[in-house]
Amino acid sequence: MLTPALAATTFLVLIPVVETLWMSLHNVILFRPRSAPFVGLANYAHALADPVFWSSLGNSVIWVGGAVSLQFGLGLGTALLLNRSFAWRGIARALVVVPWALPSVIIGLIWTWMLDFNLGVLNEIGVRLGLLSAPIAWLAQPDTAMAAVILAVVWQGFPFFAVTLLAGMQAIPFDLYEAAALDGAGPFLRFRYVTLPGLAEVIATTLLLRMIWVANSLDLIFVMTGGGPGTATQTLPLHAFLTAWSGGNYGEGSALAVIFTLILLSVVVIHVRRTHRQ
Amino acid sequence: MKRRTLLTGATAALATTPLARPHAQKAVTIRWWYHFDDPKATPDALIAAFEKTNPGIHVEAENIPWGGGGDYDNRLYTSLIAGNGPDVAMVKFVNQARLLEMEALLPLDTWIDAWPGKSDISNDVWRLHMGPDGKRYYLPLQYVVLYLYVRQDWLAQKNLKLPTTFPDFLAAAEATTGDNRWGFGLRGGSGGHDFWATFVLGNGAKIAKGGLTSPQALAANQWFIDLYRAHHVCPPSAPTDAFLQTINNMKAGRTAMTIHHIGSANELTAALGDAITAVPVPRGTNGPGWATYGDGSSAVFAASKNREAAWKWAAYLSTSATNVAFNKLSGQVTVTTSGAANWDVQPKRFIEATTNSLPMAQVLPNLPQTADFTRTVWPQTTQRALLGQISPDDMMRTFDKLFFA
Amino acid sequence: MIERKRFARGRRLVLTELPIVAILGFALLPWMWMMLSSFRPDAELTQSPITLWPRTLTLAHHIELLQRTSFIWNLRDSLVVATGTVSLGLMLSLPAAYAFSRYRFRGRQPLRVQFLVINMFPVVMLILPLFVLMRQLGLLDTYYALIAGHATFTLPFASWMLTSYVDGIPVSLDEQAAVDGATPLQVLLRVILPVVMPGVVAVGAYMFIASWNEYLFALMLAGQHVRTVTVALQLFIGENQIQWGLLMAGGTLVALPAVILFLFVQKQLVGGLTKGAVVG
Repeated sequence: MLTPALAATTFLVLIPVVETLWMSLHNVILFRPRSAPFVGLANYAHALADPVFWSSLGNSVIWVGGAVSLQFGLGLGTALLLNRSFAWRGIARALVVVPWALPSVIIGLIWTWMLDFNLGVLNEIGVRLGLLSAPIAWLAQPDTAMAAVILAVVWQGFPFFAVTLLAGMQAIPFDLYEAAALDGAGPFLRFRYVTLPGLAEVIATTLLLRMIWVANSLDLIFVMTGGGPGTATQTLPLHAFLTAWSGGNYGEGSALAVIFTLILLSVVVIHVRRTHRQ
Repeated sequence: MKRRTLLTGATAALATTPLARPHAQKAVTIRWWYHFDDPKATPDALIAAFEKTNPGIHVEAENIPWGGGGDYDNRLYTSLIAGNGPDVAMVKFVNQARLLEMEALLPLDTWIDAWPGKSDISNDVWRLHMGPDGKRYYLPLQYVVLYLYVRQDWLAQKNLKLPTTFPDFLAAAEATTGDNRWGFGLRGGSGGHDFWATFVLGNGAKIAKGGLTSPQALAANQWFIDLYRAHHVCPPSAPTDAFLQTINNMKAGRTAMTIHHIGSANELTAALGDAITAVPVPRGTNGPGWATYGDGSSAVFAASKNREAAWKWAAYLSTSATNVAFNKLSGQVTVTTSGAANWDVQPKRFIEATTNSLPMAQVLPNLPQTADFTRTVWPQTTQRALLGQISPDDMMRTFDKLFFA
Repeated sequence: MIERKRFARGRRLVLTELPIVAILGFALLPWMWMMLSSFRPDAELTQSPITLWPRTLTLAHHIELLQRTSFIWNLRDSLVVATGTVSLGLMLSLPAAYAFSRYRFRGRQPLRVQFLVINMFPVVMLILPLFVLMRQLGLLDTYYALIAGHATFTLPFASWMLTSYVDGIPVSLDEQAAVDGATPLQVLLRVILPVVMPGVVAVGAYMFIASWNEYLFALMLAGQHVRTVTVALQLFIGENQIQWGLLMAGGTLVALPAVILFLFVQKQLVGGLTKGAVVG
């Protein structure tokens, strides 16, 4: 049962992972393919000594915390609503997928444009409605830039939670709701004591997976701010990416990738231990 | 007329047979990688004409996404390393140091010296294309030179002439700032290093040991940062403004001046008409002046199995009439002197600004760190300086560390 | 009686339909802004002050997109790759999820976690070795390379999600079928699959969309004969120019296949087979 999946992952993925580990222990510069001397842990030491590493780590924490919690909240609310019956719910369910179905480059460009200082529709509406006294250069200031990229990724990702949680709700037997209603439980109590426990497993899994995905995703940030202004929106994977892609330093980029993976791995292991006790 | 029908005919044919490319009957196939700004522009007509006069050669062209340069370069380097690279490709000066370290390039001297098209390219251009070891690896293909776009109508209203010196420039910027308009559309995002080069490298700084941290260099950089921080002649979004924002701001009538090249001349004229013009970038008193030369060349790769054929194709693209046709597709300017004489793709004043900028034309030194500098280190560090997170002097020291640590 | 109905309808409007409209508004407004922009002529795209509704409408961008670029073929390539990814991915992950859910064996937990390690790695690190591997297999620039790449990268997430859905189905169903003489594979296909269909649809949607939006693999492992829509859109962003009109038109169209597909399968998402059927 398991063998095909295992074989595929081992063959196509484990090998590159091992190669990355190898690269992290050598001085690998992309445009110097002939010389790759063994440097032991030098790449790691250099990476950790760089203050940009620590600011990127901090940014990653804010990025993941903000993005996942907001996506989850909005997605759960949407799933609850889409689970109810109303005439046009088929179309509603299909349309909610739109943000999720767009490539990151498009999402990045459209949000950058909507947030544009001079020509952005959000500034325009904000000023017209009196919410803003003057247009804001969203992407040019560190705080608003982080808020802007989180907004864009929440927009992109909440349909994922909406769809997966909606699917999970289908496994909760209708009778449980009926029984609770008969016992006099209102909608909020029904949610707390029937829906939530029924969804617990799916919630735990989707939160974990989404956290890994968001932590690792850099497409949107790359298109919208390139990690800027300065390094205000540079997360750790983006730092690794730029080290390799722009600097050509695949040795240090690999070291950063390995460090990041180890951090994520420890979070995952803790989460798994606490929620899956079998 | 004839070319257009050929072009649309070729495109229609391409659209209906996407996977079937004429193959197999030709003796050799060379692969050529390019990138055009306009996805509707296709080199099919050029290829067809070439194959007609060179019946033993078939050209397989692939349009590679530019992706700010990173995507194109990484695809190129990765393919070359894996042994799957093209025979000929469009390259830039920033690639040269890395490609040479990879030993991927073929020296073209013997071919060039025997090539009739050699004399049709000016000595200035050949000088810029010389490799670091005195050999020529790059064949000039296209170019642009960065100049200053100016809203001459706004300046006329304030009775100012078009700026040539730094004090002129600052005065013009300050005079046109106000009432939701700004004098200078500064580019702090990617690609902005060209702006910085004009004001800093052209006015006392050098990318050489000690050249970035000399008193002159630091002063020039301080003046540059002060445009945003002290004189406030730039829009608040300047730190992260990139190409799209600076051009859009110009089109929308929000900025009076910005720096770019002839590639956007037609766009701007369509939006602003005669109100927009261009002049060479201003010159400071402490340096030779700096107008960034935007290069584009063809390179032939050492791993190519059909070197003669590859050279023929590259030379074809750089020859007089075909070079003009190529540049009409790519949106840049022909490198040939004969072609430039009758160039009419953009209004004359922009071509004049381009050619008048040539004496000041410069390129960044071809160091291995240059690509990283232009793509990541410059934008990130400059943004921090513009936002006041680091001092302008620290900004220069960061650059010094990148190149010469 | 009628009053009660009307009261219920009013309640539904306020408590369900209005919030949905608000959420859909949030979800769709940027996309609709993109669509509006795609009908604006070039000159209007950069005028200031901006107008919310286009002054003149034009079909020029769409016509150009469909007639003078290869966009239609790119949509086709993306569709082939995404469908292949879903098929291959589900074939691999469903049995794996069943195994993880039903069987208890040593190393089960670490194995599950190891699956995830793949997705914790920044993808850019894996590009270079993967490129070399595909080249050695002679699979560069084919559908197979992208399908294989996408399927294996979505595999860990997919099997984790499916496992959690399968966990929600009581083992009694399996046992009943086993009593009737079914093999594990038959149990999986005949008993579990119909009941876990909502989960399968959700996971299939995830895999389809992940493949549809993927850029890096499509850029590096393919290019000439296979060019997906993400790569094609990137071609509109040049060195000196951005084809904004084409980009807006393309960006609007690129969301449609996924939405249309989802419209067809969303009924399966809310199976209804499990409502009440699971108890007893």
